[in-house]
Amino acid sequence: MQQHMPLDAVLMVIAIGAYVISALALLGYFFSREEWLKHLGIPLAIAGVAAQIAQLVARWEITHIWPLLNLYGSLSLFSVVSVGIFIYFAYRYKLWFAGGFVVGLAALFLAYATTWYEGAMPAVPSLQSYWAKIHVPLVVASYGAFMVAFVVSAMYLLKYYYEQRLATAPAPANLAMAGGGSSANLNTGEMRVRLDSPNIAAAAAAGNATAYWFNTMPSLAQLDILVYRVVAVGLPLLTLGIITGAMWAHEAWGAYWQWDPKETAALFSWIVYAIYMHLHTRSAWRGVRSTWISAVGFLTIMFCYFGVNLWISGLHSYKM
Amino acid sequence: MTATVRAYYEDFIRTFSNVLFAVCLLLIWGLMTLVGVIVQQGKDPSDYFGMYAPPLARMILRLNIDNIYHSPYYVGMIGLILISLTVCTFKRVIPARLPALRPVKIDKIPLNAGVDVPGDEASVRAHVEQFFVKRGWQVRNREFDGTEWTFADKHNWARRGVLIAHIGFAIIAAGTTVYWAKGFSGDSAVLVGQTIDVPHHNATLRLNNFNFKIQPIMTKSGMVYQPIDYVSNVTVVGDDGLPKNETIRVNHPIDIGGTLFYQASYGFALKFLVTHDGTRSAALSDKTYFTGDSITLPGSQRQIQVMQFVPTVDRQTGQPSADPRINDPAVALAVAEGGQTAGAALVPMKTWIDVGDGWRVTPEQYVMVSGLQYRYDPGVPLVGIGAFVLLAGLVISFYFLPARLFVRVQSAPQGCTVGLAAMTVKGYDIFETQFGELVADLRKSLAPSAPASSLSPAEATT
Repeated sequence: MQQHMPLDAVLMVIAIGAYVISALALLGYFFSREEWLKHLGIPLAIAGVAAQIAQLVARWEITHIWPLLNLYGSLSLFSVVSVGIFIYFAYRYKLWFAGGFVVGLAALFLAYATTWYEGAMPAVPSLQSYWAKIHVPLVVASYGAFMVAFVVSAMYLLKYYYEQRLATAPAPANLAMAGGGSSANLNTGEMRVRLDSPNIAAAAAAGNATAYWFNTMPSLAQLDILVYRVVAVGLPLLTLGIITGAMWAHEAWGAYWQWDPKETAALFSWIVYAIYMHLHTRSAWRGVRSTWISAVGFLTIMFCYFGVNLWISGLHSYKM
Repeated sequence: MTATVRAYYEDFIRTFSNVLFAVCLLLIWGLMTLVGVIVQQGKDPSDYFGMYAPPLARMILRLNIDNIYHSPYYVGMIGLILISLTVCTFKRVIPARLPALRPVKIDKIPLNAGVDVPGDEASVRAHVEQFFVKRGWQVRNREFDGTEWTFADKHNWARRGVLIAHIGFAIIAAGTTVYWAKGFSGDSAVLVGQTIDVPHHNATLRLNNFNFKIQPIMTKSGMVYQPIDYVSNVTVVGDDGLPKNETIRVNHPIDIGGTLFYQASYGFALKFLVTHDGTRSAALSDKTYFTGDSITLPGSQRQIQVMQFVPTVDRQTGQPSADPRINDPAVALAVAEGGQTAGAALVPMKTWIDVGDGWRVTPEQYVMVSGLQYRYDPGVPLVGIGAFVLLAGLVISFYFLPARLFVRVQSAPQGCTVGLAAMTVKGYDIFETQFGELVADLRKSLAPSAPASSLSPAEATT
């Protein structure tokens, strides 16, 4: 007899499929700036989010177990939150050019999540708490925000170092003429591009395809502000996640802080982003240095999320 | 204060109020925290020699890295951060809370604009003030060297965000200090039927029974025995002498006079029937043995060590099963002679083994043990308040942008020129878009009936 896939598995497949096609379309948009690719990618990303939310709800309804208590469930939420936060910022700040990377990473994490699927598992006693419905979504949402910040940081760093490369490379005379001394603002139809990358602008005007592509991205200052704005979403979420985790630990383990590897790894990430925020108040540190810290911050988040869950045993070892 | 002391004091203030110094302290704190994540904490010294090369293991132990979070230098680092935070708060954050109203060179500020409008200076100034007041800006006028300046502030109150965050951090530190000063914690392994004294209170706790529920679940990786519930039913007798029945579960601690009791773990203790030539040894048989305890046989150097209680023995292999539920229980015993292990056996309950010289040991009965943790922490409310104050400070600092506009209205040959510049606590880029919109709106507002001002929107330079 043919066995049917359960509804949540069908929705998961739909979500992964939607993300993969959306990521490809948005990556195509990133490289070609063909508007139709953007108009294809956005609805697919939204459809992926809808399918994933429906999948989580269906899983909860079918199993009657809060679906975020293992790596499969939390990674699923991580993907949906990353794409959700990205869509919000993309609408608000015209960030669609970064969509391929965010949605692509979300699809990767979601595909990885499926490798942890072990079927319906009831929660262990320490996870049978209303705090699971508060703490886990907050922490995972902060991870999602930091992933978006990481992608924008990576773009900043790419553009910055390409500008540096052009600045140190001997420029043909016509390039210097094309961009030198211009103070006009360009309008790409997305974000206003300010000339804080004059060498890229000059090379773009001279017909350099890579430079043209970099030149259609927002200015470095605008990318820096975008990173700041996304981190400003992630850090309060992480803070609230740590606070609610401490409140839960106070009920479950007898102390709000146990120096458990997960807690301390989260504290480490919090410190890194606190450093980012402190440095971002200094004009001399705003830009490439603070962006590097944001990028490193996401690596610490990944260590906290996967490294501690998979390699270091502690009170938070809930893989399955 | 002598000149030398004053110089030291000023050096201290200068160093500790430096943001980069604070960042360095945060960085070191972060790295020390990370070391504690990577190096397992609180293990036996021999474990570190098992995990690392001897020189590294020695370093871990000598530098207290095995207990880094309670080491003097970790606590000292938090102390330094608190000092830096305090000095920064008084030296930087509070003075920056309400910056003085001062004139600026408008064209030197990156966010600046100029609008030429017809009309006299007084009416234009009044119009500009009204424009900002209507948009929620706090407007103040000051005269400097005969020139009247208008200052418009938005979200000025949000300049206190960093101050609030720092206060929150300090409150958390105070809360944890209260625990160190007045709190206590510990754990008790309580046998079913046993009564223990509640530490620091005139109260007792008796464990009436303990139950656990484990559910076997077939997963893709195989059978998993998932714990579902641990329940301790206890009777608490407090100051009033009245017994009160309570249930302790994971996530549901009970409160006895401010001390919370938590369900932490469970285990098994054992009773043995120990006989010598068929005669029961009351001294050895009346005791309750925990895992790791030994039965020392009188008149010999022979010891029977309780290695492990095995809830279920696999009937096919005769070995301990992975099933933690109690079906066919047995006890793993090891026999040692003069400190040397002589043998080991898995002994089913109610069956005996001969351990030599006429001695027989029979596992008679297992007794459930509930592992309870207790903690009295009067600092919890402070830590909770501090955490939310910190969070409030972060939200205020991140989401409300205090901005100040510097406006100067000057007579021009054909009316007036309104000079406008903006500063924020987070630089200029973050306010660029709003400033452009504000200038465009101001232009429209200043020329409602006229065709337009003489300048185009693109001239709002940034």
